[in-house]
Amino acid sequence: MKREALKGTQMMGIVAALAGWIVPGLGHLLLRRWSKAAVYFLCVGGLACAGLAMRGGVFGSSAEDLFDRLGFFADLGAGIFYFLAHQIQVAGPDVSHATGDYGTRLFAAAGMLNILTVLEAYDIGRGGESR
Amino acid sequence: MNALFGNLTHFQALLFFALVVSVTFAFLSKREIADRVKYTLWAFLAFLLVAIGIGWLMYPFSQ
Repeated sequence: MKREALKGTQMMGIVAALAGWIVPGLGHLLLRRWSKAAVYFLCVGGLACAGLAMRGGVFGSSAEDLFDRLGFFADLGAGIFYFLAHQIQVAGPDVSHATGDYGTRLFAAAGMLNILTVLEAYDIGRGGESR
Repeated sequence: MNALFGNLTHFQALLFFALVVSVTFAFLSKREIADRVKYTLWAFLAFLLVAIGIGWLMYPFSQ
């Protein structure tokens, strides 16, 4: 299927980046990159939900030490999955077991992965990339 | 979801992580489907080999 060309602008890049941060893949959806949108939503969402299902911890904004603060920013990258973490993870975090600790890392990895997709959405939106 | 992911071993979590990150990196960096498949396989195997290699190197310290 031939993709319709979109003329990129700075504003379109910002809107795509914001949309992609809030809902992983949404920025690419707005830019008509259908397959990327679906893959990014499934991968980031799958990683985030797996992390929460493993009862991983989610860092809050009141983190005191540097590593917790870094964890907060990584987690925040997951967008809606961060804001809905407490609704998705009804049993709450349990990092006293190894599985919970793995879950914490998977959730942070989901956030970092989404930040990469957001940067790509911004780049495509402003017309700097043709993929 | 909890039943599926609640009791993963470290290795199973690693497999899942490696697969998801490899697919995402492939879509971020490659344009053609064949290139994406190749990149996914390559990155997935690289994740596994490096993880097993580091695990093997750390093994003596666990004794």
